[in-house]
Amino acid sequence: MRHLLRRAGAWPGTGGAAMRGGAGLLLAAALGSLCAGASAKAEAPRPMRIVSLNLCADELVLRLADPDQVASVTYLARDPRSSNVADRARDVPVNRGLAEEIVALRPDLVIVGAFTTRTTTALLRRLGLPVLELGVPDSLAAVYDQIRGVAERIGVPERGAAMIAGMKAAFAGLPPAPPQRPTAIVLRPNGFTAGRGSLVDEILGLAGFDNLAARLASDRMGQLALEEVVAAQPDLLVINAASDAPPSLADELLHHPALAGRRTLGLPTRLWACAGPELAEAARRLAARAGRPE
Amino acid sequence: MTRLVAALSGLVLLLMGASVAIGAAPLDVAAALRDLLAGRRSLDALILAELRLPRAVLGAAVGFSLGLTGAALQGLMRNPLADPGLVGVSGAAALGAVVAFYFGFSARFALALPLGGLAGAGLATAVLLHLVRRGAGTATLILAGVAVNSLAGALTALALNLAPSPYAALELVFWLMGSLSDRSLLHVALALPFMALGCALVLATGRAMDALTLGEETAESLGVSLRRARLLVIGGTAAAVGASVAVAGAIGFVGLVVPHLMRPFVGHRPGRLLLASGLAGAALTLSADIAVRLVPTRPELKLGVVTALIGAPFFLALLRRLKAGDA
Repeated sequence: MRHLLRRAGAWPGTGGAAMRGGAGLLLAAALGSLCAGASAKAEAPRPMRIVSLNLCADELVLRLADPDQVASVTYLARDPRSSNVADRARDVPVNRGLAEEIVALRPDLVIVGAFTTRTTTALLRRLGLPVLELGVPDSLAAVYDQIRGVAERIGVPERGAAMIAGMKAAFAGLPPAPPQRPTAIVLRPNGFTAGRGSLVDEILGLAGFDNLAARLASDRMGQLALEEVVAAQPDLLVINAASDAPPSLADELLHHPALAGRRTLGLPTRLWACAGPELAEAARRLAARAGRPE
Repeated sequence: MTRLVAALSGLVLLLMGASVAIGAAPLDVAAALRDLLAGRRSLDALILAELRLPRAVLGAAVGFSLGLTGAALQGLMRNPLADPGLVGVSGAAALGAVVAFYFGFSARFALALPLGGLAGAGLATAVLLHLVRRGAGTATLILAGVAVNSLAGALTALALNLAPSPYAALELVFWLMGSLSDRSLLHVALALPFMALGCALVLATGRAMDALTLGEETAESLGVSLRRARLLVIGGTAAAVGASVAVAGAIGFVGLVVPHLMRPFVGHRPGRLLLASGLAGAALTLSADIAVRLVPTRPELKLGVVTALIGAPFFLALLRRLKAGDA
């Protein structure tokens, strides 16, 4: 479960806790050595020992920063089942999010998730280390904000802008929604779904679907009973899990015989849990199934 | 006796009907049944056949197994506190099932799941019976149960933490508390044959149970083979409890409560108590499983929570009564 928490901060009500801290946590000494003014943020010294404690931060850092800027990412980044950047993470030292190992790395920037490694984060703050906290984006706008924020903080704003432009182009290139939108439900392990006001809900809409769970689930990360999923009769059931996941009751639910015979699309969690270009890939795979109602 | 069995059977059927009628989605049970019997794959028929029926059937079968084996263990050990949950048989079964399920054995060979439960339950039953034969009294048996339960629980937690799935560690509560939520016909097919076989073995010890009330030596002199009775109860309990825990987790206290409730109705004859306890166990488990669906919690309440809410106070009251009897 730990890597899922790290990845998505997967709890209900994780709304607008994005992007706190950041620039405000720059060391006073560092600021003092700079010329003051509006451009202080852009001219802050480029962090050269970035440590990430969160899988989503791993992906952004490994994609945006220069390789010699990254001191450590989480061990999860090397697992191709959960990470989109497993190949890039191979040569970077990994951590397990324990306070002691992080301090020993002597980071000049620690990027953490808003809902993971809380004890470590609190300790790092007490020690005065610069911490940048990433929330769980609940819309594409929040995704772009997060990418922009991280890119600026690590001194590569132009790469952030390029990533955002690439994603916007990919979303613009999606086929138009069919006049009669097919319905879909996203089903995650343990019967969790993506309801109204979630990033997944927005992506389903962009891909041309009508998200049934927005009407059924009580909140963004609501849980649906299997009976409700069957009774709702979605045109497409999006199974949001790795197809080769090791056995668990949470995963077994997704293969219940009551769901057999329904049109399904397996979409690995790693594609749309974090801010990054894979979101457009998830939308593309979904859109490919929206145009052909059977 | 036959009237009692008929009444209890009627109650079980009634509760199975109620269990089928209650669920998260609105369902016209009559129409669903007509579709199912006519072979129409309608939505209602699908929900009925794949979700509601497995739950009701497993509720009855698991409850029957727990009630029956509780009565048999109490009779064989001549110990009013013997219960598959309390003495650690269910916990050991959960350990066996966890190892079979999370490490991929049951994915390659489906029967590994009930067989894993069976192995754990069989081992625990044999160990406990060995203790009893060496003269362990009520208190020693329960303490041994505490030890077996703790050990099995710790090893289950260890196995779940070592399991490759990131979800495994959080699923400990299913194995410790039990649930019938979202079970499928596959689970019924896997577990029901073992439960039926186990219950048949245990039911065959009725005469020996009656004779045992006179003491082991007298029972032997009446031509009852205690060895055979022990083997039947061990094997039967292992199969019935092992298979039920493998598909529904360890649901506690059913096997403790039910025999005590039924005893006055069967003239305190342990042989007759077996069938009555099985049926009453089915009724209790089905009622508890209906209750967890009526309480509006999400995720659904675990079944063992309800049975423990009933069973634990009952257990305390029983201890008080036993103490008064001793004095």
